[in-house]
Amino acid sequence: MSAVKIDEQVAKTSGYNVIGKSVRRRDALAKVTGEAMFSTDVKLPGMLYAKVLRSPYPHAKITKIDTSKAEELPGVKAVVSVKNTPREKFNTSATMTFTVPHLDPVLDQYIFDDVVRYVGDEVAAVAAVSEEVAQQALKLIDVEYEQLPAVYDPLEAMREDSPDIHTGCHEGKNVPGDIVKIAMGDVEKGFEESDLVIEEMFKLPVQKQAQMETHAAVAQVTPEGNITVWSTTQTPHPTRMILSKVFGVPHSKIRVLNPPYVGGGFGVRIGCSGKAEPIAVALSMQAKRPVKIVYTREEDFTASDTRHGGYVWAKLGVKKDGTFHALELKGILNAGAYCSFSCEVPGVMGAMGLSVYRIPNENFVGYTAYTNTTPAGAMRGFGNPQAIFPLESVVDMAAEKLGMDSLELRLKNIMKTGDPWCLPYPCGSTGLAECIEKGAESIGWERRGKLNKPGATKVRGIGMGVGTHCSNAWPFCVDYDNAYITIEQDGSVQLATGVPDIGTGTSTSLPQLAAEVLGVDLDTVNITFGDTASTPFDIGSHASRTLYAAGTAVIAAAKDAKKQVLEYASDLLNAPAERLDIKNSTVFVAAQGLTNSCSGSGVCKVGSGERTSITMKELAAHAHLRNKQFIGVGRIVPPNSPPWEAHFAEVEVDLETGQVRVIKLAAAHDVGKAIHPAIVEGQIEGGVLQGIGYALSEEIKYNDKGRQQNYSFHNYFLPTAEDVPEIDAIIIESNDPSGPFGAKGLGETGLVPTAPAIANAVYDATGVRFKEIPLTEERVFFGLRNNKA
Amino acid sequence: MLQEYYLPNSVEDALVLLKGNNGQARIIAGGTDLVIDHQTEKVKADAFIDISSIEELNKIEEADGVITIGAAVTHSQVAKSQLIQKYAPSLVMAARSVGSLQIRNIATMVGNVVNAQPAADTAVALVALGAEAEVSSASGVEYVPEESMYDGVGKSTVDSTSQLVTRIRFDAPQSNQGTAFVRLCQRKALALPMLNVAVMVSLKGDQFEWVRLAMAPVGPRPKRATEAEEMLKGSPVTDEVFEKAVQLALESANPRSSMVRGSREYRMGVLPVLIKRALAAAVDQAKMKN
Repeated sequence: MSAVKIDEQVAKTSGYNVIGKSVRRRDALAKVTGEAMFSTDVKLPGMLYAKVLRSPYPHAKITKIDTSKAEELPGVKAVVSVKNTPREKFNTSATMTFTVPHLDPVLDQYIFDDVVRYVGDEVAAVAAVSEEVAQQALKLIDVEYEQLPAVYDPLEAMREDSPDIHTGCHEGKNVPGDIVKIAMGDVEKGFEESDLVIEEMFKLPVQKQAQMETHAAVAQVTPEGNITVWSTTQTPHPTRMILSKVFGVPHSKIRVLNPPYVGGGFGVRIGCSGKAEPIAVALSMQAKRPVKIVYTREEDFTASDTRHGGYVWAKLGVKKDGTFHALELKGILNAGAYCSFSCEVPGVMGAMGLSVYRIPNENFVGYTAYTNTTPAGAMRGFGNPQAIFPLESVVDMAAEKLGMDSLELRLKNIMKTGDPWCLPYPCGSTGLAECIEKGAESIGWERRGKLNKPGATKVRGIGMGVGTHCSNAWPFCVDYDNAYITIEQDGSVQLATGVPDIGTGTSTSLPQLAAEVLGVDLDTVNITFGDTASTPFDIGSHASRTLYAAGTAVIAAAKDAKKQVLEYASDLLNAPAERLDIKNSTVFVAAQGLTNSCSGSGVCKVGSGERTSITMKELAAHAHLRNKQFIGVGRIVPPNSPPWEAHFAEVEVDLETGQVRVIKLAAAHDVGKAIHPAIVEGQIEGGVLQGIGYALSEEIKYNDKGRQQNYSFHNYFLPTAEDVPEIDAIIIESNDPSGPFGAKGLGETGLVPTAPAIANAVYDATGVRFKEIPLTEERVFFGLRNNKA
Repeated sequence: MLQEYYLPNSVEDALVLLKGNNGQARIIAGGTDLVIDHQTEKVKADAFIDISSIEELNKIEEADGVITIGAAVTHSQVAKSQLIQKYAPSLVMAARSVGSLQIRNIATMVGNVVNAQPAADTAVALVALGAEAEVSSASGVEYVPEESMYDGVGKSTVDSTSQLVTRIRFDAPQSNQGTAFVRLCQRKALALPMLNVAVMVSLKGDQFEWVRLAMAPVGPRPKRATEAEEMLKGSPVTDEVFEKAVQLALESANPRSSMVRGSREYRMGVLPVLIKRALAAAVDQAKMKN
């Protein structure tokens, strides 16, 4: 549905003034004119430029490192390595700041170590007067390596004869942290009682976030030791905690901020941006000048988190009538060389994989294994796509075996509000059935089986997949939000929140919530965000949480401020606060409407009881002259609630070349409530395209020397603008009871069921079931050929 | 390190500058490959001589049944040229396949040829068109067949520090002739070909008068399927003949395995499909014109 249609619908059916409308984005003008400031743009007086020396080997001990020649090069101001940086173990991901007891965060890296564990691992860094000089200096650093045996596959890494990549793995060889186990009912008995059991193994690729702005940080250290870091992080507050631990500097002396824009995230910088922040700080401390580091695209690919690839086993038990009775999922994923989110991703994988359908007997076991590849961490979907491709494939297979329409089979089994499930919060709302209905209508589900003429070399097929997600990370890890709302002396509103705007429209949608609650004009609300110095703690922008969780804090702060305003106005308007409300930036007595205001008469002389309304401007000025300001504080722990999504794909398969093209993708999403419909549609479309890439072409492969073969936009196959098929983004609003104005999480959901929808469509077209993605030309070509034989 | 950047207005001036710099200067046109290669020090040069201001090189012309394309002509100009669309659809398709719109708007076709990548799209199409390059230098002008312009992977026989390719020319295809270019790639832009095939057919009634069939990347340079071409000469236009041509063409193909752009096995598996599609398209075109 188009944004305009939604706007009309909202205008007709709701009493909302600001939300539900696609108002102009706050960042639009700055971004289209090129004025918007990103970390890459930051320039300070005396600023130096950094370059990093990276390991050419997948696994090696550094036996010697001599930086003296580099230090002597004119223009070089600092060189850092294992010899002059803190021996403080940390984790570049924010897990070290929000892992909750009884679990312990895995701390397995230093800024620089004397062992390198993947090609691209940091060995040393230089700060110089220009990038060119810094680059030249890298060549003068003399390093001797003793190569160690390397391993690239997680199953292989767990074998006894494989090298230990890290010590202290208590769950098994090269397995970091704790194994995730989730169970409900009796899964063994469940399979025994099932009439049909489908069991398959699936293989999943390494995908890359490929956000537009590469990792960047600028660090400035004052003579007093105060540190300021401008960076691309998705989590300024947790990143400050990480830097505090690494450098032994109190939180209060460190400021981390976005400047204020971030060119995308998709999970790649929840915590540090690669190692940009700690390296910039280390160099700045040595050089006593500001230092800027901007990753090249190749560095971004090879030396910052990817999605987890690996192996997933799915086993589904079904009764004759199509009732799902037992489900078992098992995942062994590739952690890469360091444990970023490798203990959390399997958890979300299991939790989401087990929560789509109402199944009494369920079991999940999931973990990762270290290998000598680029670390895997958070990426949009966070384990969920890895569960849903296998799950929705076996559901499709079960439907065929049962002779049922797979859509009907899904409708029969999907989770309903209040159903028991494995998650520690209730299934508060679901619009999945409506998503399925609307998506099927858009794709023309009834055309299945009637699309192809005999003998055609290009065949079409239609497939679907469904899924859910979370709206934040509570209660799986630390997850809380704060917000300040300050009513300024002229009645305008200042909102401060610690979440960044990584391109998802936070700086527009959060003011929308504040304006709606306060009853003020949106134009009078300003927002400060993504800065530890001017905003209260927030866990950051990730986990599809920003609008839902930070939004809940904004609403709490706005309600608090509103309460103060109404209490103050109560005296002036001679009416109890409960009877007062605010609309069009005017406080009024609810029963009497917005009449008889004292606009234009300067500071209001009220109190006689004749007045029934007063503008915010007049009220704030009145309060100011009496030494009072209204400051609302929101401090919340968000609840959680599931968004839902159904994707339908129509594909065309070239039987002779194996090439698969998506013709149309209908993506119906239950977002609870669309606060800004155009942003919602944009999120869905972007997610779908990333899902199409995951399904068809995006994959990082390593050669036998541990080198990435797909390390740039030239050889990593993101879909381009020319490859975008028709995408029908359909918004379903189930009005969640817990979210801000009924909204739920959205950011990650756009790619959760895309791959199975496409793979199921390919099956519909060809009769060949693919259990490994991406469905590249070559994989499909040989799949079709081997199936024929 | 780059010291000078020249913008001559004539071929003569460009050649004088080349000579005066004694091999330290290099010709630049669009620069989409050269600037990157220079930055990564794959190519060294103290000076660039930019030919994009030389008006006579920025033309696509037909005269006496010969089509010429100047060295400053971009891929976008080729792809949008009505003349090329009319005579050589294969070259339009090839030019349209290179890089992305932004790249095609600045990168020149001759630059694509001189960069000498094994599967340079326009080079493959030009080989099938029987094109030749006009190479100018201080010692005069010579004409080099397109297929003789490779001196190894990424190495052109043209030395851009002393020579300048001024134009590409080929005979305008006749009404009994057709051209086609077929390409297999992972996405619609910014993708080097996994395989590309270009053909030009000349029909005589229901028979092939002759065929030029070029394939890439199946060796260090666009590969002519000469045995297949020989067989096709005088053969009837039938499925069986297509099949035979494919088998002979495969024997001249020796693709490498690439983790990025397909294994040898896959490339050998789909090459027949591309050849058949290209032949069929070119035959259809020749028949339509008649």
